Amino acid sequence: MRQSPENLTPRRYFVKHRTAYDYPEPVTLCHERGFLTPRETPSQRVRAHGVAVVPEPLLHTEHIDRFGNTSHYLEIHYPHTHLEVLKEAVVDVAWPEVDVDLLDQWSLSSVQRIIAANPAYRLSRGMFAMPSHHVSLSSKLGPYTETILAGDLGFGQALVELTKGIHRDFTYQPGATSVHTTVDELLDQRAGVCQDFAHVALAVLRRLGIPARYVSGYIETAPPPGKPRLEGSDASHAWLSVLAPNGSWIDIDPTNAQFADSRYVVTAWGRDFADVSPLRGVIVTEAASSRLTVGVDVVPMAGDEVPELSSLGIILP
Amino acid sequence: MTAEATQTSELSAYRGRLAGGWDQLFSESGPRPQQRLLVEALEDLGRDGLLDARHKMGRLVRDEGILYGSQQGEEWIVDPLPVILGAQEWKQLEAGLRQRARLLGLLLADFYSEQRLLSSGVLPAEIVWGHRGFLHQACGIGMPGDNWLPLVAADLGRAPSGQWTVFADRAGTPAGAGYAMATRRLTARVMGDLHHDARPARLRTFFAAMRAGLQQIAPRPGHTPKGVLLWAGAAHETAFEQGFLATLLGYGLAEAEDLVLRNGQVWINAPEGRSLVDVILRRVDSDLCDPLEFRSDSQLGIAGLLEATRLGNVMCANPLGSGVLENPALMSFLPELAPQVLGEELLLPAAQTWWCGEPAQLSHVLTNLETLLLKPVDQTANSAIVGWELDAAAREDLVARIKAEPWAWCGQEAVEVSTAPVIGDDGLTPRRVVLRCFGVRVEHQHEFLPGGLARVSTSDEFRIVQPGRSLAKDVWVLDAEEPSETWAPSFEGGPTAVRSSLTLAPRVADNLFWLGRYSERIDGNLRLLRLALDLALDHGRRPASLGAQVLAAILVAGEAITHLDLGSGDLASAHKRIRSAITDGATSGTVGHAVARLNAAAHEVPDLMAGDLWHVLSQLERLIEKAGRRRDLPGVIDSLIASSLALAGINNESLTRDVTWAFVDVGFRVERAQRMLSVVAHTLGHERAAVVESQLSDAILEMGESLITQRRRSASGDGPRQPALAATQLLVTDRSNPRSVAFQLDRIVEGLLLIGDDDLAGRAAALATRVQVLPLADLFSGPRKQLHTELREQLLELRAIAEELNRGHLTRSAPRRATLSGWSIGTETEEDA
Repeated sequence: MRQSPENLTPRRYFVKHRTAYDYPEPVTLCHERGFLTPRETPSQRVRAHGVAVVPEPLLHTEHIDRFGNTSHYLEIHYPHTHLEVLKEAVVDVAWPEVDVDLLDQWSLSSVQRIIAANPAYRLSRGMFAMPSHHVSLSSKLGPYTETILAGDLGFGQALVELTKGIHRDFTYQPGATSVHTTVDELLDQRAGVCQDFAHVALAVLRRLGIPARYVSGYIETAPPPGKPRLEGSDASHAWLSVLAPNGSWIDIDPTNAQFADSRYVVTAWGRDFADVSPLRGVIVTEAASSRLTVGVDVVPMAGDEVPELSSLGIILP
Repeated sequence: MTAEATQTSELSAYRGRLAGGWDQLFSESGPRPQQRLLVEALEDLGRDGLLDARHKMGRLVRDEGILYGSQQGEEWIVDPLPVILGAQEWKQLEAGLRQRARLLGLLLADFYSEQRLLSSGVLPAEIVWGHRGFLHQACGIGMPGDNWLPLVAADLGRAPSGQWTVFADRAGTPAGAGYAMATRRLTARVMGDLHHDARPARLRTFFAAMRAGLQQIAPRPGHTPKGVLLWAGAAHETAFEQGFLATLLGYGLAEAEDLVLRNGQVWINAPEGRSLVDVILRRVDSDLCDPLEFRSDSQLGIAGLLEATRLGNVMCANPLGSGVLENPALMSFLPELAPQVLGEELLLPAAQTWWCGEPAQLSHVLTNLETLLLKPVDQTANSAIVGWELDAAAREDLVARIKAEPWAWCGQEAVEVSTAPVIGDDGLTPRRVVLRCFGVRVEHQHEFLPGGLARVSTSDEFRIVQPGRSLAKDVWVLDAEEPSETWAPSFEGGPTAVRSSLTLAPRVADNLFWLGRYSERIDGNLRLLRLALDLALDHGRRPASLGAQVLAAILVAGEAITHLDLGSGDLASAHKRIRSAITDGATSGTVGHAVARLNAAAHEVPDLMAGDLWHVLSQLERLIEKAGRRRDLPGVIDSLIASSLALAGINNESLTRDVTWAFVDVGFRVERAQRMLSVVAHTLGHERAAVVESQLSDAILEMGESLITQRRRSASGDGPRQPALAATQLLVTDRSNPRSVAFQLDRIVEGLLLIGDDDLAGRAAALATRVQVLPLADLFSGPRKQLHTELREQLLELRAIAEELNRGHLTRSAPRRATLSGWSIGTETEEDA
């Protein structure tokens, strides 16, 4: 999992994420909650962002949630058969290289003890080392963990093994899972999408008492010349971030068997998908079905260029 | 043996049955001084008096319709003997409860804001973050006046030392204060003399405090805050209490679908207009309250409610997420927390609790498993596992579960709680008692319901705090200082009925409408069946007789109305079929069925019902049961009709003439008019011999309570000669006869105007005119088919009006579904609802 230097260079991305719902019957009332603004992180600065919703919401509020994400709330009372939420952002990204050797100074089996002993990590432990809605500590986790990790592994190497292990053991298969699929079922069926892989990895780490959080975001779509196209790049992507004993967070992407690098754009993080689902809604309608269309573009930008955001119609500094 | 000896032996027998621990009644040396009045009363009552009191209590519970439990019709069970507490004892207990409530409120404030207690390590973060009741989405939302815990309850038991000891804190949706009030009302009646002599502290003040306290958290000053009780629905185990509480507070009972969330504000359509809701007293668990934020499969919640509270437009009591305080693990930290957070030692002892998330406590729990109660931190009910009841295999299994997720478990010391006398089949029996105390914050501290609600196990089991069929007992605090009631709610300005609208929430209107219809259906069907039964008993076995022809015509009409087989084809069987048309509650069309549906409709809107209604409903149910067994069916029918008259009386006399009443009345009138049109069409709308028709006319006039009027009129030479014409005039077109179709239509027009549907009122008025000007002479001079056709058309128009009413006012909103994007690549939709 060596990171290539060209993926670590600072860069600027234009991210455009369009979510559309089409209904066969009018929706008379619609409440939505979504994470539509990328968050600031040590490796990411948000230069500009905007959100546009059609039909126009009667109410659109935002607040910072307990995890530090910007959470949006929308209310639409206008009858509609088409709902569109467009989110655009310009972000500057520069991820550091993960120093596996540095992380290897701690053995995997010692990490829980070190983190537990450090009062600074109390809250992180409560927030990110406990089971959560999508991350239950299945009894099958123990046997699975044994097949990829040993306690005397260095922590850095353990993260590498975990990332590669899930990539190796699970098939990327859209449609194989749903929001109701449990970790237990995933361990049986060994197939899923990026959310599922992140959840399995979170479960493995939390079972070992290591705080780890679910990260929702994007990955650059365009494959570098001669390289294969990355899976999970057509839509919003998900990976995880693990607390190291030195207090740094290490982002691993089991879907693509790599550490996160400067091609990764973070929207939000939480305990699992349920905390940061890009858009969830409750609608009132006679319609029995709906069609969801999602389109994501992550476009690298040259120089200091900042494009005009169609969602805002203005350019931010 | 003298009577006196028997009486005394009740108490000594009780004393002999005491099995250890503290007893409420007796100490080692004899009756406790505080209990003197109760002891005297027990001596006076003797075995017979006690059993009589128990019987009377059961009867009262039934009459009042006090239900508890998830099974339909399960009754609240009350033991008539109160638990008596002395003033001093209560004062101490109250001070401890008050301090505990203050502490819990401060914890909750911290959990949903800075979480300093967690980051500083005073409290392990796992206790909050690992508890299902903690909803991080609610972080950052404040409560006016820092009143984080408007309502609180605690479960206590009395240890062998006599010390009251807390087992559990209730902070999510604390239930039971309404049951305490209901239990008090009954106990005061059954134990009237004792109640009079003892003068226990009154409970009413508590509900005044609750009203005031809830007003104080209202977000908008300067007007009378509007409160609603968001209830969990008529099927919930405490539905009775929720309705009762709403009545005590003067709150409307609302289901999620009755409320409209718009622009971050909550609105309700109530009889007094559409108004902004300020305070929601919720009896729905937090995670079900907002399907947008929490459980998307919840139908009990309002999408956007959490955001509305974040915006400060509406306040929930208790705030969403308050259930985190029910984590039993917190109990083990409170003694340490109190000095740090309050600067005071904790006054009220609690059952010692060990949280397995700490290695030392875990090892204590595992070592002492056989002596402890084991509680999962996320327990939803009182689902404690009793350590000493486990066999080796179960113990091993439990140890494995605890070791796998230690933070999810607590061990708690088992306190041998006190006993109190309960009236059993064999006289006074000692039973273990737990006490639930209720607090509400008003101004700057919590006021507590004096005493509380005592629950008693129905068996002599040691383990008491299990759910299920336990008895309730009233709790009396003697010689208490009467509170000064300084928290009488202050009214500033009028309510914010921003938009005057006369509509009700469709769910409420729908139930009211059917309440009216079923009331009248019961009455109308009974009158029809009474007439048919009379005729059947006289003529059923003589099919060729004149009377039998009348009977057959009535049965045919009855069959058309009820869709039941009443025996028109086999007159000899008619009386049997008539009986089952009353008693067979499972079949639609029977009186029993209508009673059941009426009951169900009333339970959907209990806050709008007059108290007397429950008596009548319970009477009707009893009579229906009787009708199946008793030989004297006509007598039972008479009693049933008397009860149904009482029902009509309540509808007419106990409901304000507002839109609430209008829906009931329109339902009632529609039903009556439809029935009358059917009856006349099916009896007089066919060609018959004049002698038959004449008798049939008398029969339907009798059924329509109009025979005497008709006789008086014909004796004085008023009205038409032809009996069928005279009957039709009186039963259909005469606007002054309260049983006529024309009369019903006039009332329907009035009701629809009150409801605010002028268009539909106009349509009903047109039908009324058509009925009034019916050319009876012409109709009766031609073939009877004409009459039949005309009445049939009127009936269809009336049905169309009812259908229109249903469409415009009674139809619930479209279904609600959850949508979710972003699980997987491409186009996919997730539907949870």
